[in-house]
Amino acid sequence: MNPFYWLGALTVVAFLIQGVSGMIMMLYYIPSPSDAFASTQYLFQTVYFGRFLETVHLYTAYAMIMLAFMHMMRGYFVSVQKKPREMMWVVGMVMGFVTLGFGFTGYLLPWTVVSKSATDVGIGMISSLPSVLSSAILFLIVGAGGDATELLRFYDLHVVVLPAVLLVLLTLKMYMLEVHGIAEPSAGQPADARKARGLPIFPDVTFYLLGLAAMFGSAMLLISAVFPLSLPPEYTPQLAAQFTPQPDWYFLWIYQILKISVFEGAGLPVALSLVTLIFVALLILPFLDRSQTRKIRDRPTYVTLGLIFVAELIVLAYWGLASPGQIIGTEEAVLVLGGTAILVAVISRVAYRFLSGRGGAHAVPKTKGALRTAVGFVSLLAGGTIGIGWSLNSLVRLVVIGPSFSNVFELILSCGLLMAVVPLTVLFLYRLESRNGSLKQRFRILEIGSGNS
Amino acid sequence: MVQAVAVIYMWVVTLFGTLSASGFAIFLAIDLLSFALVAYVYTHEKWGEVVNRVWIVAGSVGLVILLLSSLYFS
Repeated sequence: MNPFYWLGALTVVAFLIQGVSGMIMMLYYIPSPSDAFASTQYLFQTVYFGRFLETVHLYTAYAMIMLAFMHMMRGYFVSVQKKPREMMWVVGMVMGFVTLGFGFTGYLLPWTVVSKSATDVGIGMISSLPSVLSSAILFLIVGAGGDATELLRFYDLHVVVLPAVLLVLLTLKMYMLEVHGIAEPSAGQPADARKARGLPIFPDVTFYLLGLAAMFGSAMLLISAVFPLSLPPEYTPQLAAQFTPQPDWYFLWIYQILKISVFEGAGLPVALSLVTLIFVALLILPFLDRSQTRKIRDRPTYVTLGLIFVAELIVLAYWGLASPGQIIGTEEAVLVLGGTAILVAVISRVAYRFLSGRGGAHAVPKTKGALRTAVGFVSLLAGGTIGIGWSLNSLVRLVVIGPSFSNVFELILSCGLLMAVVPLTVLFLYRLESRNGSLKQRFRILEIGSGNS
Repeated sequence: MVQAVAVIYMWVVTLFGTLSASGFAIFLAIDLLSFALVAYVYTHEKWGEVVNRVWIVAGSVGLVILLLSSLYFS
């Protein structure tokens, strides 16, 4: 049981939980500025299990975004976007944007000071786009009726438009999956895999997926029970004036880019163009990376770029969380972001050289057991996050407080942790790829409709 | 069996109106986790793959912990 190959399916499960919990919440919610907070508060305080339901809805939304991101990055590293699955990647990316749209529109609905202030910042950013584009977007999502229309439009987008779009895209992706099949392992045998007899969707695949969904659901339930939500105060312009707006965690990286001093004021359209460029590059990735090889060991540049991308996102998000409302100096941003990129690139190249000296992926012993894979993945993710956060924190302390033995020692330790995590990640990816035997077995499972040939 | 006990117990305590949200979450989690174990064993045995004992032991320990914690929360 390797959850890596089922991240897309788990994202759909999260979407379904969202749908069910959201539909129950719709029974109580009133989408008007005067009643939105009161109805949310009623759900929280009076409705039996209302708070729990709201908590499950929010945490599953977070899980959906995280699972979609992990699904995308896994696909990137194992090159699922290569021919003939280019359009599957494009559709998947659009589904990712829609998922972020769910987050953006749903965040406003409780009408708290936190949600309304953060959404206002987002809308303010849209206003700085070229006038034709900004007018079109603002007309679509805000309208001309002030807060009332804004809330109603966000509600409609959240509960009708976006779910409908996502369902259409999901159907399209499932159809493409049926036509092209699952991407075979990079060192596998495409022809043989296509001919392999597929296991029936019922009961085999269904039971396997339901088992995974049950595990995911129980984790969500327990997390929601242990860490229940608390409702921030209602939005009022007076209260909002005293509050520093900050977006939810999945938009923190954009928030932090926009806080870099060079992008303040007249530079804002440049920053927004930069963010748009990142999204466009991700969207058209299959048409940029035209090489035929899908082996991780033969794609050091793209693998390194992927690692840098993930590291920068974590750094920006952590930094954004740690410095709400604080403008970041351009030199400081260049140092931290450039330093992270160079550090990850150098370590990745060294790891590649070291592994190729040992005979590349073939020299890496095969990993046995999905438990080890899952534990390895979680440990690397935790190690990387702690390493980046810790080193960033030490660096800032070194700059702000000045050099002292403890500051320098902490910086060396945190950089050491980071330098250990990056080559281990490369090694981990190598090991995953080297598990072709097990992979083939998994991929055969979803060769639905390939017949008994 | 664990599933059946969890579900029956959950509905009984709900009937008396004593089940908290945490208790509900724990019993539903027990139900789902035991189903996940059943599905795991069923699919792996059917595919002729090795049923990893680590998963079974970990799942069972998880169920025991959840059942014990349910005594506190319900």
